[in-house]
Amino acid sequence: MKLFDPHIHMTSRTTDDYQAMAAAGIVAVLEPAFWLGQPRTHVGSFEDYFASLVGWERFRASQFGIRHFCAMALNPKEANDPNLVDWVLALLPRYLGKDGVVAVGEIGFDEVTPSEERCFAEQLELARRFELPVLVHTPHRDKKRGTERTLAMLREHRFPEERVLVDHNTEETLPLVLESGGWAGHSIYPRTKMDEERMVTLVQRHGAERILINSAADWGVSDPLKVPKTVARMRERGVDEETIETIVWRNPVAFFAQSGRLDLTELEKPATIDQRELWEGNSVLRGQTAVVRT
Amino acid sequence: MTASHLLGLLEPRLDPATREWLSRAGASSSGNALDASAFLEAFAMAGRRLGQKPLGTPEDTLAGLGLSLAPDTRTPALLGRVALLLRAQERLEPEGYEALVAACYRSGDNGERQAVLKTLPLLHHPERFLALARDACRTHVQPVFEAIACENPYPAAYFPESAFNQLVLKAVFTGVPLARVVGLERRHNSELARMAADYASERRAAGRDVPTDLTLLSPGASA
Repeated sequence: MKLFDPHIHMTSRTTDDYQAMAAAGIVAVLEPAFWLGQPRTHVGSFEDYFASLVGWERFRASQFGIRHFCAMALNPKEANDPNLVDWVLALLPRYLGKDGVVAVGEIGFDEVTPSEERCFAEQLELARRFELPVLVHTPHRDKKRGTERTLAMLREHRFPEERVLVDHNTEETLPLVLESGGWAGHSIYPRTKMDEERMVTLVQRHGAERILINSAADWGVSDPLKVPKTVARMRERGVDEETIETIVWRNPVAFFAQSGRLDLTELEKPATIDQRELWEGNSVLRGQTAVVRT
Repeated sequence: MTASHLLGLLEPRLDPATREWLSRAGASSSGNALDASAFLEAFAMAGRRLGQKPLGTPEDTLAGLGLSLAPDTRTPALLGRVALLLRAQERLEPEGYEALVAACYRSGDNGERQAVLKTLPLLHHPERFLALARDACRTHVQPVFEAIACENPYPAAYFPESAFNQLVLKAVFTGVPLARVVGLERRHNSELARMAADYASERRAAGRDVPTDLTLLSPGASA
């Protein structure tokens, strides 16, 4: 079974992770633009970050047989820095048209401040203009209220619900998202957010329709193999193959295909690997023998 | 509190060369006037020059100076940096001083940032640093978060309700005992009680234990 991790920050991960992910069956990832653990203070830092998401990181993934897609946005946390907001929002149109950019995200709320609300609204308009779906982060603190506010924002802006993926759901927020008509993502984390056991229970209760799971692995304690590990747990607890495949492959493909930028035939084929390739003169190899699989 | 009070506490514990360094720290090489780049250099160097080993300074000595610090943060480096910031305030016009504090925080490492945050409530017109203090609450670096959230009267005195509530909830999230949040009783509000009750409900739905401190915010939270 092919697996798609629809939310993972590969920029923070190692080549060992790429190898382990490929070995576990992950063939495609979506990397949403987020923050880097410590706030950036110059727009130039975003410019280089966005460029790396469509450049080096995409190349790096390809060297391990993984297709790399990304979502671009000013994230909710850094949306609170008045020295950044206008400049980063102005930068986004330069990137939203590029290959591999299949959504606007992560947008949404962190503390639900007026500045977050403004950035959320403006980026919904950018998504409309570039005909992209949106990946929406939900707050860690005051989650239920924050999710309700998020869904209300989407309604106020009449953003088509089938083009919305609301992420980091819990037992209490999943029903709200499904009821709204949007897609619901779940971040399977070692301790916080959602875990494998609880996720299987949610799948048994709600089925597979518009439900996705992801590792949300980043620079913190997190696990880039949480999608395959949750698949294994679903099998052990008797979830049928059709349901599993819908959650870990068909749903993410269908959601991001709304960008018009996924080549569905190409996605079905095994990815080619040619580690002899260079990116701006750089190779992922450090003296190893190049793997070539065409 | 003035810089000299704090320097008076610190100086007897320093060797003569370090005392001399501290007395000139932040001044331009040609004279006594404060020079921003010399100051930033000294502010960074204070870690190595003054040392990071906590002093056995008693709580009430510091409290007498208006400073409340957890025992493990009572280091000569932190006290020295607070003194440097207070001394700079006496020597600079408000505008230049605000830019200097912002620069100390922006390019500061974790220790420098902690010192800036501990200094905020001691400054003239502390409310002008509200944006900086709120930004500090978004950090993931726990000692920096605790420098603003714990033993610090600033948030209770100057934060609007929504920002204060976020700080309190983040303290619970990160396992900080709420007894360390200054002024919580005075700033407690119904929205904070609602947030705590919702968080308890989220934890229960996930089959997880409910932090006992939540009952301080919402008496029914642990039920």
